[in-house]
Amino acid sequence: MPINLKEERDPELVKQIVEVGGEDLLKCYQCGTCIADCPTGIADEPLSVKRLIHIAKLGLAEVLIEDESPWMCVTCTGCEERCPRDARPFEIVLAIRRWQCLEDETYIPQTLTEIYERGHTQNVVNPMREELDLPEIKTVATREDLLEKFRQLLRETRVVKEHGYMFGIMEG
Amino acid sequence: MKVGLFLGCNMPALRPDNEKAIRVSLESLGVEVVDLEGAACCPAYGTFWSADEEAALAVGAWNYSIAEKMGVDMVVQCGSCYSTLKMSRHKLINGKLQEINEKFLSKVGAKYEGKSDTKHITDFLYNTIGVDKIKSSLKYSMKGLKAVVQVPCHTIRPSKILGFDDPENPQVLKELTRALGAEVPTFTRDKQCCGGAGGYARNNRRAALEFLKLKLDSMKEEVDPDCIVVSCITCLMWMDEAQEEMRKLGMIDYSIPVFDYNQLLAICQGHDPQKVARIAATPRDEVIVKILENKI
Ligand code: SF4
Ligand code: SF4
Repeated sequence: MPINLKEERDPELVKQIVEVGGEDLLKCYQCGTCIADCPTGIADEPLSVKRLIHIAKLGLAEVLIEDESPWMCVTCTGCEERCPRDARPFEIVLAIRRWQCLEDETYIPQTLTEIYERGHTQNVVNPMREELDLPEIKTVATREDLLEKFRQLLRETRVVKEHGYMFGIMEG
Repeated sequence: MKVGLFLGCNMPALRPDNEKAIRVSLESLGVEVVDLEGAACCPAYGTFWSADEEAALAVGAWNYSIAEKMGVDMVVQCGSCYSTLKMSRHKLINGKLQEINEKFLSKVGAKYEGKSDTKHITDFLYNTIGVDKIKSSLKYSMKGLKAVVQVPCHTIRPSKILGFDDPENPQVLKELTRALGAEVPTFTRDKQCCGGAGGYARNNRRAALEFLKLKLDSMKEEVDPDCIVVSCITCLMWMDEAQEEMRKLGMIDYSIPVFDYNQLLAICQGHDPQKVARIAATPRDEVIVKILENKI
């Protein structure tokens, strides 16, 4: 998608992304090293941190909110390692995801609710354990009292506080 | 020596045989493996890190507080768990610790002082246990087998924050594999990421498969290995299962078995392959048979 410069600009956009962890964004000098070795280079629409930074600097919030490419990141951190300006492109990918979650809650990953429910992204108690002579799982998955404590901790976090209903928490 | 085994989510959920391999192979090396009572998801980058960094640090600190209370460091195989746990610790001990303790942990009677640390299992095996001790625990050998290694990205980068190996030319997993008797050749795409982590395969499966194919084709054409050795649950499941998917799609016509390092170690130590290497989409029997023919 070409960048349309006639689009409305939001001068606050860069600041908002810096606030959620993209503080090194301003160091970027658009060299493109972060794209060179990115595994998503052969994707239908590759994830380009360079481009995302450019969009953010232009204040094109409408474009950025529609862009799902940050969620394709493999988290390989090749870009983070090799950026010559130490702009921390991987941190910027995460920061843009956070900004998107703040702007549009449908971006909040479903797995958060799984973790709240059972402490893990999925059911970790595999029935094969017995056959393999594995000891009982001792994580929060099997420790109801500790799971409740863990949930209590999560209820103190912003994302759970602000979106309680997603986690099955009733108001009041 | 005592270590806390950090299980994460994928390994116990989907590959308990890999968990078994880790437990028994460490025990054969004289390591006491303890379970971290009340541990939870690391949390993965695609979860709290992507929505609320403070929440991610709170969960990371929760996990550390358990290990610290038990007086152990954590040992972990999953690359993603390793990376996020090291990232949490880095951010905590460089400024966030007090705040996270006050805002979150203190509310549930927990505390993390920044003492307990995390080690990737290959770091632990190579630098703490050592190759000599590993060699002397073996009953069978991989002699005559050619193995390529998949070094998990999450264990070498970002090197300012984590890692224990040369980030551009990692050698630890290769040396560990050589210690089992295997030949470990290099090839053009030796250092390429497998592409299995994060949202790539979910968001653009065709591309993620083609990306992996680049690497598999390169190793097949240049060195034709007997197996791939990984040390990350995501590399293991992705490289194993995506191959099967690609064979069905007609994208590849070959088959390269994939093992977690500790599975091979456990087999070479004489543990039952039916318990330590049971689950695989790409058949591994030939490699196992060859190892069991090589009694030391
Ligand atoms: S490598 Fe760094 S400086 Fe270069 S474009 Fe990417 S983020 Fe910007
Ligand atoms: S961390 Fe993400 S954006 Fe950076 S190179 Fe890897 S996949 Fe690409």
